[in-house]
Amino acid sequence: MSVARYDHGSRIPGWDDAVDLSKDPASIPDPALTPVPAELRQQIEAAMARYPDFRSAAIPALHAAQELHGWCSPEAIEQVACVMRLTPAYLTAVVGFYDMFESKPVGRNTVYVCTNISCSLRGARELHAAVQQAAGDDPDFNVRAFECLGACDIAPMASVNGAYVGPLELSDAERIVEQLRAGEDVLPEKQLLRRKVADPRASTDAPALFDDEDRA
Amino acid sequence: MSELLLFKDIDEPGLASREVYERRGGYESLKRALRMPREEVLQNLLDSGLRGRGGAGFAMGKKASFLPKGTMDKYLVCNADESEPGTFKDRELMQKSPHMLVEGMIIAAYAADANRSFIYIRGEYQQQAEILERAIEEARSAGYLGERILGSDHSLSLVLHRGAGAYICGEETGLLDSLEGKRGNPRLKPPFPANQGLYQGPTLINNVETLATVPHIIRLGGQEYAKLGTETSTGTKLVSVSGNVQRPGNYEIELGIPAREIIFGLAGGPERGRDVKFWFPGGSSSPVLTPAELDLPYDFDSMAKAGSMLGSGAIIVVDDSQSVVDVALTLAKFYRHESCGKCTPCREGTNWTVKMLQRVESGEATPMDLDIIASVQEQIMGNCLCVLGDAMAMPVASMVSKFRDEFEAHIETRRAQLGLGEPTEPTPLEAVGVGS
Amino acid sequence: MPRPEVRIVTFSIDGREVQAPEGVMLVDGAKHGDVEIPVFCYEPKLGQPVGACRMCLVEIEGIPKLQTACSTPVKDGMVVHTQTTRVREAQNSVVEFLLVNHPLDCPVCDKGGECPLQDITFGWGRGISRMVEPKRHFKKPLELSPLIAIDRERCILCYRCVRFSQEVSEDYQLILHERGAQSYVGTFDSHPYVAPFSGNIIELCPVGALTSRPYRFRARPWDIEGAGTVCTLCPSQCNVELTVRDERVLRVLGRDHADVDDGWLCDKGRFAYQAIHSEERIVEPLVRDGDQLRPASWERALSAAASALGKARGSVGALAGGTTTNEEAFLLQRLVREGLGSADVDSRIDGSPMPLELQRALAAPALGATVPDIEFAHTVLVLGTEPVDDAPILDLRIRKGVRRRGVQLAVATPRPSSLDRNAKLWLRYAPGAEHAFLAALEAALGASGDVDRLCAVADADPKAVRALADLLGEDGRGDVVILWGERVGAAALPALLNVAGRLGLAEREGAGLLEVPASANGRGLREAGMQPNAGPGLSEVAAAGRSAQQIAAAAADGELAALYLLHTDPIRDGADAPLWRRALARASTVIAHSAFLTDELREHATVVFPAESYAEKEGTVTHPDGRLQRLRPGIGHPGSVRAEWSVLAELERAVSVRVPQGDTNGHSSPLTGPMATRQLVEAVPFYAGLTLEEIGGRGVRWQERAAAEAFPAGPAGPFDVGEPTPVASPHGALRLGTFRSIWAAPEVEHAPALKFLARSATLEVSPADAERLGIENGDRVRVGNDDRSVEARAAIRGNAPAGTVFLDAGLPAGGASELVDGTPVSVDRAGVEVTA
Ligand SMILES: Cc1cc2nc3c(=O)[nH]c(=O)nc-3n(C[C@H](O)[C@H](O)[C@H](O)COP(=O)(O)O)c2cc1C
Ligand code: SF4
Ligand code: FES
Repeated sequence: MSVARYDHGSRIPGWDDAVDLSKDPASIPDPALTPVPAELRQQIEAAMARYPDFRSAAIPALHAAQELHGWCSPEAIEQVACVMRLTPAYLTAVVGFYDMFESKPVGRNTVYVCTNISCSLRGARELHAAVQQAAGDDPDFNVRAFECLGACDIAPMASVNGAYVGPLELSDAERIVEQLRAGEDVLPEKQLLRRKVADPRASTDAPALFDDEDRA
Repeated sequence: MSELLLFKDIDEPGLASREVYERRGGYESLKRALRMPREEVLQNLLDSGLRGRGGAGFAMGKKASFLPKGTMDKYLVCNADESEPGTFKDRELMQKSPHMLVEGMIIAAYAADANRSFIYIRGEYQQQAEILERAIEEARSAGYLGERILGSDHSLSLVLHRGAGAYICGEETGLLDSLEGKRGNPRLKPPFPANQGLYQGPTLINNVETLATVPHIIRLGGQEYAKLGTETSTGTKLVSVSGNVQRPGNYEIELGIPAREIIFGLAGGPERGRDVKFWFPGGSSSPVLTPAELDLPYDFDSMAKAGSMLGSGAIIVVDDSQSVVDVALTLAKFYRHESCGKCTPCREGTNWTVKMLQRVESGEATPMDLDIIASVQEQIMGNCLCVLGDAMAMPVASMVSKFRDEFEAHIETRRAQLGLGEPTEPTPLEAVGVGS
Repeated sequence: MPRPEVRIVTFSIDGREVQAPEGVMLVDGAKHGDVEIPVFCYEPKLGQPVGACRMCLVEIEGIPKLQTACSTPVKDGMVVHTQTTRVREAQNSVVEFLLVNHPLDCPVCDKGGECPLQDITFGWGRGISRMVEPKRHFKKPLELSPLIAIDRERCILCYRCVRFSQEVSEDYQLILHERGAQSYVGTFDSHPYVAPFSGNIIELCPVGALTSRPYRFRARPWDIEGAGTVCTLCPSQCNVELTVRDERVLRVLGRDHADVDDGWLCDKGRFAYQAIHSEERIVEPLVRDGDQLRPASWERALSAAASALGKARGSVGALAGGTTTNEEAFLLQRLVREGLGSADVDSRIDGSPMPLELQRALAAPALGATVPDIEFAHTVLVLGTEPVDDAPILDLRIRKGVRRRGVQLAVATPRPSSLDRNAKLWLRYAPGAEHAFLAALEAALGASGDVDRLCAVADADPKAVRALADLLGEDGRGDVVILWGERVGAAALPALLNVAGRLGLAEREGAGLLEVPASANGRGLREAGMQPNAGPGLSEVAAAGRSAQQIAAAAADGELAALYLLHTDPIRDGADAPLWRRALARASTVIAHSAFLTDELREHATVVFPAESYAEKEGTVTHPDGRLQRLRPGIGHPGSVRAEWSVLAELERAVSVRVPQGDTNGHSSPLTGPMATRQLVEAVPFYAGLTLEEIGGRGVRWQERAAAEAFPAGPAGPFDVGEPTPVASPHGALRLGTFRSIWAAPEVEHAPALKFLARSATLEVSPADAERLGIENGDRVRVGNDDRSVEARAAIRGNAPAGTVFLDAGLPAGGASELVDGTPVSVDRAGVEVTA
């Protein structure tokens, strides 16, 4: 009997990598040797100031660095490490844990297509394939199948550069890609922010919650 | 059905702004609460019977009362990670009525005597984060946040913290590690967050909906609020209905109404010509229920008694056009992807389960493998560091046991397609005579 | 901070009543009842349990879910079951899960035979596998560093290694990448995991995932023997177990001693054993024959040495360092003093002698802190030493204290310290300004003296000095331990003693001073009498001899005829390499015990005796905190190497030390190792009565024995601090500070695995100075003062104080000792003239 090879994951990037013995060990980057763009430094320092423990700023700092560099490149990580006085490894461990951090270069236009349960019950996998096809190998695009994005009410849906759109038809795939290329607002009529709550009783003309005598 | 609380003005244009929110009576509860002693606010929360809306259903007031007294920094953390598949109610609240959450947090922090607070919002909710950030800024400039709020002795800082995509950060201790800037691995409990949480300090963690309900409790009074819903599941609840229904979306219901009313009455049920095959009553982690269970009252205890749970209040309906094998595999893959990897049974169990289900799906399994799948779920349940492992094991086990026939039929059909013939049952392992 | 008191509680496990200290974790408590609970991730040395592997699940009555025994403290009356079906099934399950992806390549695994995974699978596994899916596969083994290989297939993700890197050594280089079943152990952007303590992860790994590259495939557990001894490569004197096969040391493991090393080793201690079996090692006596050193018989070598020394009678200078034992030092000083009529013996090769009364005051038992005191102190002050270089294992102890016990750390050093980040307060002063700095600190603690003026002399920030005084002086808040480096110099000691007096360190149990000597057995050598102004037991001597520096000067001037070098290379270890070169060239006789030939020995040595490695040695050493520890030979001598105590005894006999033969009061040259120890012990009153048996495998602090009463008390303070000499404040030139890296050691240079770490001269420069001088990071530069100079590689350091540069010391040549100590330097880009 032939045993098919499933995506049993023996080829996860990194698993087969040895270290490069010609490199120095990676300790906390020396500020004298690590140039950090001023705006990024300022964003990171502002984030650090928001928390009782500066390390809490790791994720916000990485968001900022990814925004600037397009991905969490070694250079980006070193810059964050330098400002936060952490080892680059510390931040690499964080990067690897979270789905939104990219550890390889990716296109600027991010399309997360939810393929989790509620969306897949409504055709998400086909949608994902369609968006992928529409984007083709355009290096400006980063089309990913994503876990539940918290918008099953508009299933199947996608997050396009952070904006949620749905419910999507297969034909929307092309439009998303075209509109992104053209720099247009994506599927304005399908944007989640413009949608009303499903509950029919959540009407807007109901009386105020508080009676007047309740007011101070 | 009773009046709406959380959704009452939810679609009012501009409700996200302080001005409109206040016009609708917003921040009145805060003012009222600050005129009461802390203990009285806490008593209202206890009286309300409000159970956590994030999944575990633990009494909110009780949890708030666990925080030790003293002058150390104490923390309130709002869990806005909302990553349980099928759940999208917190998103609706945050994007449409962010001040309701902010107000609830200020009151809850007052009750628990916490002086620092955080909202941990999942990174994907970018637009919602922006809306919340504006609301927090507005609240701050109105003096609702900061030192000595409205002249009271209550001071509170509030920081919005965006995550970066990890379901496990909804688990409260994973959330804390993540908020501390680490990988979001859950922590060993005890110690519980109430004693040693964020930065080792006493911490109260609640879900968005839980906290957003607090102003309503203060407005109505705890005892009055408790009259809504059932005796042990008080109040109203936002239910996210999704999957094979005609009107997916969020509905505010009074706890205890029949599930059928929600799925069919509110959400319209499956498309015409389709029937409910099974449904998840509380997010993808809840064991599935069958159509026979549709008439059960939708509340914490009834769902538990039926062998499932109310969880986050996310109902996912699967109709009879769907394959249970596919649903099981989709879910197992999700949990494998989201397992943090810290503890053995979850990390290896989810991975192995996926591999087995893939063999089932492709027809290379035998019915005996279904026993192994079931046994592996048993081996996961109760043995993990947090309940993410159980969150996969419970629904998968329930699907395999309730739809065993379909699993077997699926294997048979696929084997036939592959030309593999009848499966030969291997020698039972016990007969090999090794091990204990 | 008082150490927690231990209460004993009674609980029941598998129906047995067991007593255990309250609060210990159930896995440890269970051992009191002979119950073994299997664990993988649990390792108390790593800090709080993480409860990750789930191997240790047990049933506790009254708790519905199974609990992890590694994280549940025992409580009075607790009822625990480890043998129920539920527990069995959970254990079986965890083993099965761990093995689903394990390659089961035990036959070719280095860990095979000593592998917890094998043992636990055998003891608690189901013995069958139900997994038919393909396993995860990784390429293997892969390099993690030049020292460590990683086999990711075998990894069970127990987190021990990453926890070590993150929470013990705090280098935070080793991490888990990715998440869930895709997680794997690695580093940032494929940088190697190189750090002073990296090798510990090999020992921590409970499977064969992390293996020692030097040890890989050298032996199987059943061909090896373990031999316990003490590593003498630095003053930490960690307890080690040598893995021996066919008279070769193949591996060095820790031998957990909570009062010494806490179970850790540095990589020098772990891998430098390779130098023992280096091809270049001298394994037979060498005698000069014209301009050549030639192998010779022992008879010839001994008689050549004896006759040369005999001729030089009255004109012999002797130095001991390195792995010299107490016994050897004792014999050498007796040989020189009594046999050769010279008082010129020293063991502070790059230091100056310390007045005897100060030594006695400093070594007073009441004032001495122990290693564990560092961990339990309220405040620790690190003064003029970089622990990770000077006594590495103490670095980990300090970190542990700060991290786990809330110790407040203060660091006062000329050079930025790797501990600054952990410190509540750190401050800098100019290199060599310890005297002024301590005088300022004393003044800030309330003594008379002008803090600001003294700070100006020390080039220290008076605000910081006052803050330090506040931190240390917080009354009644607890114990202060001052860890100070011998290199602070004798002039600073009165002030140090006064600071200790002001802080009441002698009156507090857990407080005190702990010196980091410059050489591995510095304390033992001095107590054995190897110093110019004190005999064995810090006794008075009739007339003080010359110090090391004076010996060098005298020899260079032709005033000393013979030099005797026991385990020391003064070019490397001394303060003035050119002077020593002249001394060695000028002396008519140079006798050395050395494991390796240096250029100077090759040229000038009369006789070279092959030195023993510590693995071959028998004898005792004294830890900086006064613990006498025993060296036991783990292997035989290679070649014709002989025990060095016996070589010294032979020489004593040959030059007929005037002691009546057969006098049992230790006055005949010893015939056995234990006899040498007996003579030493008899000569040092506060060691009196000590036996090798008493020292045993764990050592004993002499301060804790009754004989400590015989310690010659020093004067009570306060001491006259004197006026500190201002440090040079150069115009346009730079101050020179030095440091000796952990890797600046011959053993590192001669161990193939460690060679990559061997130091070459590096000059640390502040960004401001670098900019002024037009130096880029990595540039070759020439550093010079007076008419001397060396070449070095510039390393720009953001935290280096402007105006001061730091240069490697301890190099075989070309290090800081080539320059004039305490004189400003100029730095040029080699070839290019840069005006300062
Ligand atoms: C794997 C996992 C994921 C969870 N995700 C969420 C979540 O996204 N949002 C949430 O509020 N609670 C989540 N929880 C529940 C939290 O751990 C916690 O019980 C809850 O935030 C407490 O708030 P509540 O008492 O108000 O419900 C999750 C729990 C687990 C085990
Ligand atoms: S490499 Fe070894 S120590 Fe590190 S996580 Fe894997 S099994 Fe544990
Ligand atoms: S040893 Fe207890 S969980 Fe690993």
